[in-house]
Amino acid sequence: MKKGLIALLAVVGIIGILVISIIGRYNGLVDLEENVNEKWAQVENVYQRRLDLIPNLVNTVKGYASHEKETLEAVVKARASASQITPEGLGNVLNNPQAFEKFQAAQSGLSSALSRLMVVVERYPELKANQNFLNLQSQLEGTENRIAVERMRFNESVREFNSTVRKFPTVMIAGLFGFQKKNLFEASEGAEKAPEVKF
Amino acid sequence: MIHLKKNLFQSFVGAGSKPAPKRLFALILFGLFALSQSAFALDIPPSPKQYVADYANVLSDATEAQLNQTLDRFEKSDSTQIVAAIFSSLEGESLEDFTIRLAEAWKIGQKGKDNGVLFTVFIQDRKMRIDTGYGSEEFLTDLRAAEIIRNVIAPEFQQGNIDQGVLNGVNAMIATLRGEFKNVKKSKGSTSGKLVNIVFFIFIFFFVIPFIRAMRGKTIGVRHSGSRRYGSGFSSSRSSGGFSSGGFSGGGGSFGGGGASGGW
Repeated sequence: MKKGLIALLAVVGIIGILVISIIGRYNGLVDLEENVNEKWAQVENVYQRRLDLIPNLVNTVKGYASHEKETLEAVVKARASASQITPEGLGNVLNNPQAFEKFQAAQSGLSSALSRLMVVVERYPELKANQNFLNLQSQLEGTENRIAVERMRFNESVREFNSTVRKFPTVMIAGLFGFQKKNLFEASEGAEKAPEVKF
Repeated sequence: MIHLKKNLFQSFVGAGSKPAPKRLFALILFGLFALSQSAFALDIPPSPKQYVADYANVLSDATEAQLNQTLDRFEKSDSTQIVAAIFSSLEGESLEDFTIRLAEAWKIGQKGKDNGVLFTVFIQDRKMRIDTGYGSEEFLTDLRAAEIIRNVIAPEFQQGNIDQGVLNGVNAMIATLRGEFKNVKKSKGSTSGKLVNIVFFIFIFFFVIPFIRAMRGKTIGVRHSGSRRYGSGFSSSRSSGGFSSGGFSGGGGSFGGGGASGGW
């Protein structure tokens, strides 16, 4: 009788500890994932900021460098495809490796189109002296730097999440509740660095 | 930190260790040192006590005192923190990467408002940058920051007037930001509330901070082994400050890469 009670208490105690530990780990994962989402929102923000800058930039450059049609069109095209990717939704891009790849590809396509434009611009001294262009250029530089910073912070948050998700025994809880490893931004040529803009 | 590691190693190898492993250890140590040197050529100095941190010693004492006073008053009236840091060289670091790490480490600006501004100058590189916090970037926009660099500071720097350039630049930043943030006076709590605050601060200072320091020293201390020291710079800026009230202490502001870079 007494022994049975002790055994029962022990089992209940062990189950209790297990449940508490599972709850703790689960909540930890939720916090980490929320952090990733937050950082991702910032990444989307700064990319959107860049998208918003481009029409003005293209128009200004057009006025001075009308024969650079190809380069300008490439930027417009790259912008169009990048803006198509963005509204796919936050959770979707984060939990879908293909969507993430697409997003990254579109944005780095835009980065390289923009940096080509900025190289071309070097040939037009009047454009480079134009106040409006100078303004847009400083805004673009600031935005590119913001992109680099927010990407880095996003990657940091994902690294933390991923390493927690993959560790034992959290990996079992992650599997149980469907937490998946998330993609990182690769340090690709284009998007990581601001287009080289020299005065 | 290196010495500490060495002792640790010796205790591992034993007191009578032969020269061969010692040499090997020296080699490993050198490798580590070189690695830390290449990765962090210019280390983030500890948070300064004043608003102006002149590590390159290019500002006159009078300018430094004037700037400190202006920026102290500005923080008292507007709560916005502007910190100016002058380095002699970037030592191969990337400008934007270094300055954002600096801004985050010094926690310039108030927590929640993120109304910090960091103005950095690298004399030998002839480069400068204005970093704006998440809150201040709305008012001191990238564009305005670029204009201040281009039209206010760079012309003075080109003529060698570092003092005047920094003064004018800081004044232009203040003029742009003035009135955008209000220094919200904390509502006067009861004396018992104040007492609780004081006890809380004592607790933080004597227990939590040393604890955190100790923890940090254990985990990431090795990385900073080859770093430069900045001790002397601080004492000089403090002595030349010449006023007792105020001084800079980071409020916990956050930065997101906004601002502008430039050269002269």
